[in-house]
Amino acid sequence: MKLNAFTWIIVTLAVTAWVFILPVEAVATILVLQLVLLLYIKRSKTMLAAIGGLGVFTGMMILLQLLFGSSLRVSLFGGLRMLVMTLAFLCMLATTRIQSIAKALVDRFHLPVEYAFMLTTALRFVPNFLEDSEITLDAQSCRGYSNRGNVLKRLLSYVVVIRPLVMRAVSKSETLALSMELRGFGANTYKNMPKEQLTVVDFAVLAVVVVLSTYPFWKKFLFV
Amino acid sequence: MIEAKEINFAYRRGIPVLNDINCKIEDGEFVALIGHNGSGKTTLSRMFMALDHPRSGQILVDGEDIINYEPADLADKVGYVFQNPDLQILADTVYEEIAYGPRVKKLPEENIKTNVKSAIAAMGLKGLEGIYPRNLSFGQKRRLGVAAALALNPRILILDEITNGQDAVEQAAMMEYLKALNEEKGTTVILITHDMNVVRKYARRAIVLTDGHLVFDGKPQELFQGDQPVERWGLRRPVVSVLASRLGLSAANCEEFCEAVRKGGEA
Amino acid sequence: MNSVVSVSDFYFKYLRSELVLKNINLEIEKGSFTVIIGPSGAGKTTLCKAMTGIVPYYSGGDYAGDVKVLGETTKGKKVSDLAMKVGLMLEDYESQLVSLTAGEEVAFSLLNHGFPPEEAEERTRLALEDVGLPGRESYQLDELSGGQRQRLALASLLAVHPEIIVLDEPVSAMDPDGGESLYKLLDKIHKEHGTTFIVVEHRVEFVLPYLTNLVAIKNGEVAVQGKCEEVVSRIYEDAELRPLLPELWQVKCSLEKKTGRTFKLWRSADEAAKELQSEGFGKGVRA
Repeated sequence: MKLNAFTWIIVTLAVTAWVFILPVEAVATILVLQLVLLLYIKRSKTMLAAIGGLGVFTGMMILLQLLFGSSLRVSLFGGLRMLVMTLAFLCMLATTRIQSIAKALVDRFHLPVEYAFMLTTALRFVPNFLEDSEITLDAQSCRGYSNRGNVLKRLLSYVVVIRPLVMRAVSKSETLALSMELRGFGANTYKNMPKEQLTVVDFAVLAVVVVLSTYPFWKKFLFV
Repeated sequence: MIEAKEINFAYRRGIPVLNDINCKIEDGEFVALIGHNGSGKTTLSRMFMALDHPRSGQILVDGEDIINYEPADLADKVGYVFQNPDLQILADTVYEEIAYGPRVKKLPEENIKTNVKSAIAAMGLKGLEGIYPRNLSFGQKRRLGVAAALALNPRILILDEITNGQDAVEQAAMMEYLKALNEEKGTTVILITHDMNVVRKYARRAIVLTDGHLVFDGKPQELFQGDQPVERWGLRRPVVSVLASRLGLSAANCEEFCEAVRKGGEA
Repeated sequence: MNSVVSVSDFYFKYLRSELVLKNINLEIEKGSFTVIIGPSGAGKTTLCKAMTGIVPYYSGGDYAGDVKVLGETTKGKKVSDLAMKVGLMLEDYESQLVSLTAGEEVAFSLLNHGFPPEEAEERTRLALEDVGLPGRESYQLDELSGGQRQRLALASLLAVHPEIIVLDEPVSAMDPDGGESLYKLLDKIHKEHGTTFIVVEHRVEFVLPYLTNLVAIKNGEVAVQGKCEEVVSRIYEDAELRPLLPELWQVKCSLEKKTGRTFKLWRSADEAAKELQSEGFGKGVRA
């Protein structure tokens, strides 16, 4: 699905708005479409883990809402909305190169270059940080901290990782910032990247987005 | 005593990392586990600490198969020190860092104090008890990592490439502390390294791994002055050993070599 | 001497710290392969940063004196402009990689400085070939091994055609094969492009065949500097600096003292053995 990054951003933003204006059946349909899309693109363990993780997060949100006194129906619909919104971002990230997203944000949405670059940087360093945190967890085990026991205990064991990881992140980001400064990062960085044009498909999708977004205005005409 | 019996291991992608490894390390030994990057030396050492488990074969610590163990179970028998000291810092002061293990194991306060004191003395960290670990020099942080592993009085100490990134002086200091531990307290030292000078100077036994195979297990001198295809294994002979064997002399270090040359006389 | 870097009466301290560099007077010879040695904490990394204008202009701190690169002072210059003349590879080269693919990484500086895309592409292609990663423009960073990523960082430096390249402990965590092959590559670039190299190194055995000049730093000051042949003995005489010399040269100096003879400045154990044998030492075992 070769859509321009700009189109994807618009679609993602639109979906997050739609969950609040469309009826529950439509939102559920979007969810199904999203899952189909994600599993079609990449049927890997990481993808399933990501979806699963978001599912768990949604579940927690639903529980919280119930605890605060909302009815079951409202809580479930709230959870559904949340899931569809987050999956929208996941769809965008799964189909589009992060550099293209960053460039579109800078060129068309006038995001300052530093913020846009953070997207690339985050992606660049996440695997490094995962590796580093593994070592800290291993070190903790080797000093006698047992990983046996309930899920809560396992979660608590991750706390020790936070400080070394944050320190390391700070130090790496200083080196990274220096490197970017040395290489002349600035306003020109995204200007000189190859520009991607919008195609017919993009315009078609954008048209669909407009139509769906104006649903409140033309829904009256549906049952005339 | 730690033993590897017919160890085989591969990551999920199927590339074999260890093939049929057999070795036995007795108490009190000073062993260098040597090999090129990716030879499997780190993987094997991780298995000694139950950080990973073999696909087939057994790892025995003091005669017991550790297949169902996790690292915490071995912490009072085997100490493991990782290469990067920053990633191992878990506390706010040197004292608490070393006390971490004993505290987790819920030892009585008296014992914790004794253990920490002795670990600090063993690694030359006296006077630094209250210091924030990140303010230590690199060499001190490295020694702190070792001290923290010593806090539960393990009989075996495994050290992963701890001489990297230090200058000759710091490296020598670290090695002298390890030598004292080995000679005075009888701690078994398993040193993972690719620095042959360290091996030559301190190790009494060298185990060489290449592409997941154990290709040499014996005295370091045999490794340097014999006919072993050391270069093919990704290693380099120490300079003095090369010179000594080319000149038909026997020498373990610079002074010995120069003396031998002077005495050995003009041919 | 035709100097590419001149440091004059340079003092530096970071904010809220002691003086890190004191009274530095240093000349780096054009076309040389200069190695900086010194105990940990002597100020070697700070010196590298001073030679590239990072210290004091980017990182802040108090200073006195002047640093000139290719005849011009670093004062008032943007570090990105200086980086076009003096490339810097830090010990944590991984964190210097900013992009997601190899091609983008190498072209990054070029595009930022306004090079047209075609020229950037061509320079990228040549730089990747130079470091032994031909045709890898579209490779993602995680498809490259650690050693390959270091070469990629080097390619990014080469693409801007700097006159000087500074490297801070490039092989600290490498095994012997890796260390040897990196320095072989640096030597190739040195010979083919005439680039001046300034390398901070602890593991001097790897750089033994290639270095032309030595600078020894102690306690923030320059203890010794000059061509290897001229300064080796002086460094040997200093008990603190002696262990930092390549072991082969420690042997040479020690032998010279014991036998009263003078030997060549050996570049390999092989060369040393040959000369010693031909001079009649040892038990007469011929090579």
